[in-house]
Amino acid sequence: MKKIFYLLISGWFLYNPQFSYGSLIEEKNCSACHRLSKVGKEKKGPDLFYAGNKFQSAWLEEYLQNPVTLRKTGTINSPNFLKGGLQNLQQHPILNKNDAVNITQELMEMTLPGLPEEQINPLTKGQIAKTKYEFERTFSCISCHQSLNLAGKPRGGISGPSLINAGNRLKESWVANWLKNPKIFSNKSRMPVYKMDNETRLRFTKFIMTLKKENLR
Amino acid sequence: MLVIGVSGCGEQKTEKNITPKPPLKTESQTFELSNEVTPEPIVVTAKTRETYQWYCAQCHGIKGKGDGINAKFLTVPPRNHTKAEYLETRTDEQFFEAIKFGGLSVGRAPCMPAWGNTLNDSTIHELVRYIRELCQCEAL
Repeated sequence: MKKIFYLLISGWFLYNPQFSYGSLIEEKNCSACHRLSKVGKEKKGPDLFYAGNKFQSAWLEEYLQNPVTLRKTGTINSPNFLKGGLQNLQQHPILNKNDAVNITQELMEMTLPGLPEEQINPLTKGQIAKTKYEFERTFSCISCHQSLNLAGKPRGGISGPSLINAGNRLKESWVANWLKNPKIFSNKSRMPVYKMDNETRLRFTKFIMTLKKENLR
Repeated sequence: MLVIGVSGCGEQKTEKNITPKPPLKTESQTFELSNEVTPEPIVVTAKTRETYQWYCAQCHGIKGKGDGINAKFLTVPPRNHTKAEYLETRTDEQFFEAIKFGGLSVGRAPCMPAWGNTLNDSTIHELVRYIRELCQCEAL
């Protein structure tokens, strides 16, 4: 009985990319800048312990090979965050295609269990227009997040991550869960907590998923 | 007559009857209205300054001059909290409402979000005092 238990435990360790020997996450020392678990102090890079819930794998693979700037003044924990300016930015290391593919696979395994998946219907044009209005005026999201204006040009503040390509970067269910309860993921955020009614929250989720760089003009 | 006179002077003040306030619903969001009694006097502490730096300084700037990192990207510039000329025309209640329910609630810019689900009433009252400290002004 004991032997079976040890076999199962070692199998789990080997299967789990965070712990298995040869983990690229470990080899590339991602934990120097990113938290790999909710325990411990926040680091200068975004948390990765729920990367599998949050990111779309195709985007992540591409990002790791060609990093783009999502936070123009760095992350919220950077000491110079409030001073702004590109001098605060630290370029993410560039990985080759093979490493990017493998590390993405590892990151996709890093998830928080039990997050609800919600069925969200596509938005009508009218709903998109209404949500865009609320995004800018009722909830003031535009003050901290860059988005696209009606002419397809970037518009908005820079203290939050850019949402210009959120529809290709984020997973729909993660957005819905973040808007419902951001504390599941982080106790520390500079974003206001919103108690949106369910209909609004799901509409916002779908709206954010419509924001894609292909719509830039 | 004496009895009537005495009872007419005022009801017996027993415990203050606090009835729970229903949540306030705006266009698409809900705010819990607390029955929190504001501590007197309201004191600006290091924690208040930290809160200002963490949340408000993104737009209003580290020193409250309206020059935060988002400022140049906003259609309406964030308020300069060091300028008394305008701020002394506003009451503390107006400040409180603007912070709690957002700019639109007091007829100001929609760029200012509602912080009522992020900060409790005491913290908001402290922030109001801190803004008064920054502008070195009181409501006229």
